Amino acid sequence: MNVLRSAAACLLLGTAAPLAAEGLIDRLDEALTVSAFDGHARARLSGTLDLEGYYFPRTPPGLIHADDDGALLNPRLTLFLDAQLGPHVYAFAQARADRGFDPGDGDREIRLDEYAIRLTPWEDGRFNLQIGQFATVGGGWITRHLSWDNPFVSAPLPYEHVTAVRSRVPPYSARYFAPGTLWGKYDYLPVIWGPSYATGVSVAGRLGRFDYAAEVKNASLSSVPESWSITETGFEHPTVTGRIGFRPDPAWNLGLTASRGPYLMPEAAAALPAGRGLEDYQQITLGHDISFAWHHWQLWAEVFVSRFEVPQVGNADTLAGYFEAKYKFTPQLFGALRWNQQFFSKVPDGWGGEHAWGDSLWRLDAALGYRFTPHTQLKLQYSPERATGGGPGTSHNFAVQFTVRF
Amino acid sequence: MKPSLIFPALTALLSLAAAMGAETAIEGRVELPKGRPGPVVAKRYEIVSKGGVISTDPPLAVVYLEGPFRKPSPPATRQLTQKNLTFIPALLPVQVGTKVEFPNEDDTYHNIFSFSPAKRFDLGRYRPEERPIPSQIFDKAGPVTLRCDIHEHMRALILVLDTPHFVMTGTDGRFRLAGVPDGRYRLKAWTSSKTTLEKQVEIKSGAASRVDFP
Repeated sequence: MNVLRSAAACLLLGTAAPLAAEGLIDRLDEALTVSAFDGHARARLSGTLDLEGYYFPRTPPGLIHADDDGALLNPRLTLFLDAQLGPHVYAFAQARADRGFDPGDGDREIRLDEYAIRLTPWEDGRFNLQIGQFATVGGGWITRHLSWDNPFVSAPLPYEHVTAVRSRVPPYSARYFAPGTLWGKYDYLPVIWGPSYATGVSVAGRLGRFDYAAEVKNASLSSVPESWSITETGFEHPTVTGRIGFRPDPAWNLGLTASRGPYLMPEAAAALPAGRGLEDYQQITLGHDISFAWHHWQLWAEVFVSRFEVPQVGNADTLAGYFEAKYKFTPQLFGALRWNQQFFSKVPDGWGGEHAWGDSLWRLDAALGYRFTPHTQLKLQYSPERATGGGPGTSHNFAVQFTVRF
Repeated sequence: MKPSLIFPALTALLSLAAAMGAETAIEGRVELPKGRPGPVVAKRYEIVSKGGVISTDPPLAVVYLEGPFRKPSPPATRQLTQKNLTFIPALLPVQVGTKVEFPNEDDTYHNIFSFSPAKRFDLGRYRPEERPIPSQIFDKAGPVTLRCDIHEHMRALILVLDTPHFVMTGTDGRFRLAGVPDGRYRLKAWTSSKTTLEKQVEIKSGAASRVDFP
């Protein structure tokens, strides 16, 4: 079974390779940092090598695609370039080679997921201007979405659970807008598609205890990865997203997010009601995030209310959120629990009545992680999930991820 | 006192005074390794208002004497500070048994940890004003690499030494190790985690020995 092979491989790598590779990775880190002009121009190439294994006895959750036996082995190489030119210019890029942006979505891909340049006129960080293709400023999960920082293998529910909303093919009538994913799940949208690496411009800064950030992007928070590149989607139908943050002290971080923008892709235009355009169907999202950290505890919580204006149907609302806790038992061993939940509003069913446009569900993520060295980490995850509106009962999903960071 | 004993006694006293005036010391120079580029702060997903340009710490060496020295009273507490997203100092030699405090002088969290065999610990996240200041006692000799779980670029090294006789070089590599007792010892110069140079030395009372590495 693939997942067993990958788990065994992860364990073998986790126990044997780190000891031998530790010194090598430290030397590699030094070798991949270059500087010029007396240190005022510096660049560093770094990355992660992830080996993930999944096992899903039933349908894979979220945006993950598995093989027929419910197993998936997903290697991923991520390279980061960070460059600092004096105190005022910073640039970064992220490239990946894997089996698709979402695990198992493709065969083999090499992508440039992020690239941006940031201008910082004042060194106190009060104002920053960033241009490029980069993660959204909204929400509180983005800063820890990479495999090394995320205590879990998967993303929280709002960032990966697909709803009945489709961006390419709007429903012909309300009767066709129902829970479930009849077609490939990649056609359907979550509230936020992972880190949402769309293209655009952002301003951000820190003013005392307050943070602010706002962006204008070429695609909505829920948009599919194919639409994020400027070569695929222009700025005819931009999405505006903003976040205000408050840090009463280093332990707390509270934020409010708001976003609005059309979510339908251009190929959906032909199927819209007469006289209507893509601009008439918006995704409107409000979110609240909060985090707290103290000694070996870290807590996070987020909740989003998102409205999709659906052709032929009306407003389809959903509320999705999670509460997450991480604790370090020892310098190397940590555990994490995350409770995820999502609810759906009622919409006309096309037969004169109403029905919920999605199956409300909960999911518990439980993970154990071990850092063998400052460069190597192994995570094991178990996730029971159940749709509360009926369905086939609780599904039990397993994941393992071994990461080498350099 | 018999007159015949007065002269030898005076001679001994004068010799002792001369020995105290000319301090026993080892001095010399260590050829330092080339400087490395300063780190690049990864700030892709947050605004980092400090640490945009970090001055390159010039390479330094630690020179220390190895031998069967008597255990002195507990060493004084030392501090290794986190300021402007940097460890200050980046290299701290201490004697075995030293307590090191880690004050956080930034307005953000740090999370110092070490997986080094000589000392494995994780201080977790703590406020700048937290008291008592988080600390560790370094009770085993060896290098201890410090990192921050939040700020990947932050690095420091505590060199825990089983000797009370050690000194850091200047940025030119010069050093002077004073107050060392007479005898034959191994003098070592730590220049990096990969390189520790070593020479045999003989210390004579009141004399200053000169030793250069290499």
